[in-house]
Amino acid sequence: MKTARYAIWTCALAILFMAGAATLARADAAASASAAELKDALAKAPSTSTLANGDPGGVITGTVNDVPVGDAKTGLTLGDVSNQVGQNKIAINFVWTLITGFLVMFMQAGFAMVEAGLCRVKNANHTYMMNFFVYTCGLFAYWIIGFAIQMGGAAGNGNLGGLQSLNTEHLITLFGTHWGIFGECGMFLARSTYDVGVMVIFLFEMVFMDTALTIVTGACAERWKFLAFAVSSVLMGAFTYPLYGNWAWGGGWLAQLGVNLGLGKGYCDFAGSGVVHAVGGLTALAVAMIVGPRIGKFNRDGSSNAIIGHDISAVLIGCFILAFGWFGFNPGSTLGASAAGNLRIGSIAVNTMLAGCTATLGALLYMWVFKGKPDASMSGNGILAGLVAITAPSGFVNTMGAAIIGFVAGVLVCFSCAFVENVLKVDDPVGAVSVHGTCGLWGVLSIGFFADGTSNYGGSWNGVTGSVTGLFYGDASQLVAQFVGCATLVGFVFTFSFVLNWILDITLGQRVSIETEVAGLDLPEMGQLGYPEFVFKPEPDFMVTAGKMAVA
Amino acid sequence: MAATKSQGSRFTLFMAGLTTLCAGIAFSDTGGGKSALVVGLVAVVASLWGFFKIKPLEGETGNGPQPAVMKLIGVAVVLGGWLFVLFGLHLTAGIGGRLFTSIVGFAVSLAGICFILAPAVNKNAIWKA
Repeated sequence: MKTARYAIWTCALAILFMAGAATLARADAAASASAAELKDALAKAPSTSTLANGDPGGVITGTVNDVPVGDAKTGLTLGDVSNQVGQNKIAINFVWTLITGFLVMFMQAGFAMVEAGLCRVKNANHTYMMNFFVYTCGLFAYWIIGFAIQMGGAAGNGNLGGLQSLNTEHLITLFGTHWGIFGECGMFLARSTYDVGVMVIFLFEMVFMDTALTIVTGACAERWKFLAFAVSSVLMGAFTYPLYGNWAWGGGWLAQLGVNLGLGKGYCDFAGSGVVHAVGGLTALAVAMIVGPRIGKFNRDGSSNAIIGHDISAVLIGCFILAFGWFGFNPGSTLGASAAGNLRIGSIAVNTMLAGCTATLGALLYMWVFKGKPDASMSGNGILAGLVAITAPSGFVNTMGAAIIGFVAGVLVCFSCAFVENVLKVDDPVGAVSVHGTCGLWGVLSIGFFADGTSNYGGSWNGVTGSVTGLFYGDASQLVAQFVGCATLVGFVFTFSFVLNWILDITLGQRVSIETEVAGLDLPEMGQLGYPEFVFKPEPDFMVTAGKMAVA
Repeated sequence: MAATKSQGSRFTLFMAGLTTLCAGIAFSDTGGGKSALVVGLVAVVASLWGFFKIKPLEGETGNGPQPAVMKLIGVAVVLGGWLFVLFGLHLTAGIGGRLFTSIVGFAVSLAGICFILAPAVNKNAIWKA
């Protein structure tokens, strides 16, 4: 018996040993085959003398000879080739994210033209300068602290190499679950965040942040003190925007609503209807309320006067610049063009332009039918409203949804402008509150309705497996998450901005003096007229009367 | 009086102070970082005090005083609507209930802006003078 058991064990061990040896032999054979194929490829690669004859058709440039070799003694290996494939994926994504970020940066020029064009000529220099200097204020504030608050805990993005150095998120524990509040890595992009991937995400997120900051300058144009604008913008770039940005995009609690409470895929905002535009629009509302209306905007009976902008051509060209830049805003938010569902960038771009188109139709037709004329400035606001609204859902909806979202935004912005001016009695020279605030909130909510469940960005979103799906495609819980996001925008972001700017009003005063406002901000605030060789046309009677009464 | 050298110098102090303060936070694990934290904070406070001192010299503005109590009540209502949404998520686990509390809280916040804050900021508006 003992001998039999011994024999069985010996046979079993021998069989195992032979199986292992066979596997190793097959692996060795495969490795040998791979090495042989690589050697063969190297042998067939064009030589230096062949390349010296030129390659007009591009058929022999870019070969196995261009793959870096890790060990010169070993020569080219499968590992070398695999490393190069990984590098190529990351390089494609880096280039895509950077180029689209450059497009978004160019939107600053569009915003400047739209805002200045809708203001009077005596304030042109001041308005342009606010849009110019906001880039500096925002970028600096974001570099010293804002980026760390927003993205300090955002590690894990596979498109950009992992971003593993952004690995510290401040958490609180409530009702037994962890909620992210703000990040802690990345101030001054120093120490471990001096990293190639971090640089790319910093640039991309920074230009989005600056879009939010520039929105406020439009709503408060023609009476906002330059000093107050500068301090307010620095603080918004350092704290207000990054805080909400962390909650939505930096691994914070809004994004975790899906994982923690089963609300869809958590709060979703593909490119920032909420994070960028609603934050900007609601902050604009808060500051416009504190600064107060322009002299002459409202009459004693509460009726409003139209204060016409000085350059409609600048407005419409500015809108086209913005629409062009939006091709960086939305498609660029995939943070890559290789792998993880990123080939959807074409869909996102088409959704973007389609929503802008139908929004323009909605606004222009509304104005033409109900007000009698196809108004140029409201048409410009219309296209922007559609682009703002599609920003959040662009990565999750089909073209039908995009068209509907855009059309609704185009009509909504007309109603909202009238409401803000005639009911709230808030003076907004460019319609920033309605375009960015109202339509930004609509864009956030529209995900909860129209997300069609066909997108696939690596098989999950915000850590929840599956695709973002809205009410019309079977998931009501996503709508709840979107409402929570909207409530946070109105309830927290607006309040935070209101209190912060209220304190600034007490400390340094937000508004220019009456004399400065009546004379125009260019000379007193900037020291130079925007158009020094122009002969100014006298202002309408109601403006002259209001100005005289104010000074008296 | 509009933009002046006084404004420029105080803004420079504010920016330098904020940068130093943030450097202090970033490098708070070093001795130099702790010193920068204190220096930066002092500089920011000094700049805000400087703004406050020059504010009266900048002339009367076209905006009348806004009632502080009414504004505070409005802010509280807006914030309260948001807090109702957050706690409503834990009052009920059902989607219908959570949707209801989210919509109600959102509406309360909007009402705070439209019916309390907007009238408050317009109470002494220049167009009523």
